Amino acid sequence: MTYNDRTFGILMIVLAVAYGWGATQLPAPFGGSEAVGPETFPLLLSVVLGLSSLYMIVRPDPDNAWPWSRTGVELVVAVVILVLYAALLQPLGFILSTTLAVGTLCWRMGSAPVRAYLTGAASGVVVFLVFNFALDLALPLGLLSFLEVS
Amino acid sequence: METLGFLIDGFGVALAPQNLMFALLGAFLGTLIGALPGLGPANGVAILIPLAFTLGLPAETAMIMLTAVYAGAMYGGRISSILLNIPGDEPAMMTCLDGYPMAQQGKAAEALAISAVASFIGSLVATIGLILLAPLLADFALTFGPAEYFALFLLAFATLGGITGKNPMKTVVAAAIGLMIATVGIDNTGVQRYTFGVLELYEGIDFIIAIVGLFAISELLFFIEEKAGGGKAKMMVNKLTLSWSDIRNILPSSLRGGVLGFIAGVLPGAGASLGSFIGYTLEKKIVGKKGYFGKGDPRGVAAPEAGNNGASSGALVPMLTLGVPGSGTTAVLLALLISLNITPGPLMFTQHADVVWGVIAALLIGNFLLLVLNIPLVGIFVKLLSVPPMYLLPVVTMIAFVGIYSISNTTFDLYFMVAFGVAGYLFRKLEIPLVPVILGLLLGPEMEKNLRHAMDIGDGNWMVLWDSGLAIGLWVFAGMGLILPYIVGPILRRRMRVTTGTGGPEGD
Repeated sequence: MTYNDRTFGILMIVLAVAYGWGATQLPAPFGGSEAVGPETFPLLLSVVLGLSSLYMIVRPDPDNAWPWSRTGVELVVAVVILVLYAALLQPLGFILSTTLAVGTLCWRMGSAPVRAYLTGAASGVVVFLVFNFALDLALPLGLLSFLEVS
Repeated sequence: METLGFLIDGFGVALAPQNLMFALLGAFLGTLIGALPGLGPANGVAILIPLAFTLGLPAETAMIMLTAVYAGAMYGGRISSILLNIPGDEPAMMTCLDGYPMAQQGKAAEALAISAVASFIGSLVATIGLILLAPLLADFALTFGPAEYFALFLLAFATLGGITGKNPMKTVVAAAIGLMIATVGIDNTGVQRYTFGVLELYEGIDFIIAIVGLFAISELLFFIEEKAGGGKAKMMVNKLTLSWSDIRNILPSSLRGGVLGFIAGVLPGAGASLGSFIGYTLEKKIVGKKGYFGKGDPRGVAAPEAGNNGASSGALVPMLTLGVPGSGTTAVLLALLISLNITPGPLMFTQHADVVWGVIAALLIGNFLLLVLNIPLVGIFVKLLSVPPMYLLPVVTMIAFVGIYSISNTTFDLYFMVAFGVAGYLFRKLEIPLVPVILGLLLGPEMEKNLRHAMDIGDGNWMVLWDSGLAIGLWVFAGMGLILPYIVGPILRRRMRVTTGTGGPEGD
């Protein structure tokens, strides 16, 4: 099967065309245009990407299998955890969000739940202490801000 | 003898107590990174870059620490090759051949010690080579004009896949994508490109975010897919009984391996895996029937290890003198230099002589430190091999998050990093190499600047790009870099596969 390379090649040609078109729409720089304007290099790139993607469509490599079913779900779960971690880092604070994120990841990767969340909590507390006291870099405390010593 | 003076100054920098401490820390962390499963050298150095910023280290200290990490990771990679027959990184593949049989014969400690000594000799030979060659190359590079630089960047991309690379066209795709990402932001004529009015994109995409995302996050996703969360069985290492005659026995092999490795490291497109491969096969030829290669010959451990470490020091030559890295990890080191506002290239040798020679001296000192660390502490590193990835990788991911967050204190960067991680996973699935993407991100602005200068000089005539003999030579080599893999690539790959008996893992 050679769908992967072909699909990717088509997507990249679309990108190359859109990117190249975007380059032609760039305004001329202040002070008049020169031999190499802001659009020259991008246009060059879009041609290179277009041609090399075309090659991928014409001469694709055999596919690597995608992890459908359960592993695929696990991967989506992992990405969701990472996005949530980023989103909750400030509101929940570093220690709580790290406990949840690292704990859940460890658990999903096969650790026993209790040990997973303990690892998460321990790593969160250690890194927080190291950063706030040894490196003088304030990580957000969030919900735990009542613990703050001032 | 000017070089010697600079080198002594360099030692002055490297032996400053703070720098020495960070070199030691880097060497230790590097060996750890090399030994731990799922943390390649490029990945490890990338994660540590934001931390070096957070510490507020001066340029030369940060560079010394991360160079030590780089050297250390090359040491660490051999531990799992010898004990588990699983190469920690691609260049360590050849070490498995005789290292693992030695471990099976209950000589694991000897194999580890021999490889440490060989690594040391290989690095030492190559560092001396670096000291001799780098200033010469830097002087030569001063004659380069913008057109030559433009061609040189092309050469770097074309040879990045290496002549053993599978599909050079995918390298081109990857490089184009990286260069495209680099054009996002306000360019140096003041025009906004591809920012879509998003304020965070005005300054462009920080390549550190991209690097950490592409390496660290995609690694996590790969481990989840392969369900490789469980740890390896605990390893026992016998008591070391190594005599001087054993070391004398491997000295010639190590010296030969180091020289070959250095040459392979300096040449574009060869790289550390080819260095260790050539080192091993040549050693087998020289020793001939007297050896018992493949059945636990110490010389079969020494030669590829020396080659591998020689190549990794050799790879620093083009990075430092031309600003053109030849491997993934040196690309990451280049990222560090650029973010420290140091423009690598020939001028660095005059403008930032303290940094360059400090790093070179630190490489020498680092090798001594590594040798001292590695022989007595090997037990600790062996224990670390059995840390299960299911705990390790989430914690590493968390450290990546903290590092990126600490750059700008915004969550916007974190989303970006996750997005790069997902992209990195997809690329790796499609066997599109990640290193050209990163190199594109790093070299994009410089490449465009040189194109602009060349065209300004040539008054808009494209012919100016291949106007000099040197430029033409570089173009020819770049073309060969793309075509040769189709011709000799399959042969070399087959021979490497026959020798190792495996396909070997991807990546660097």
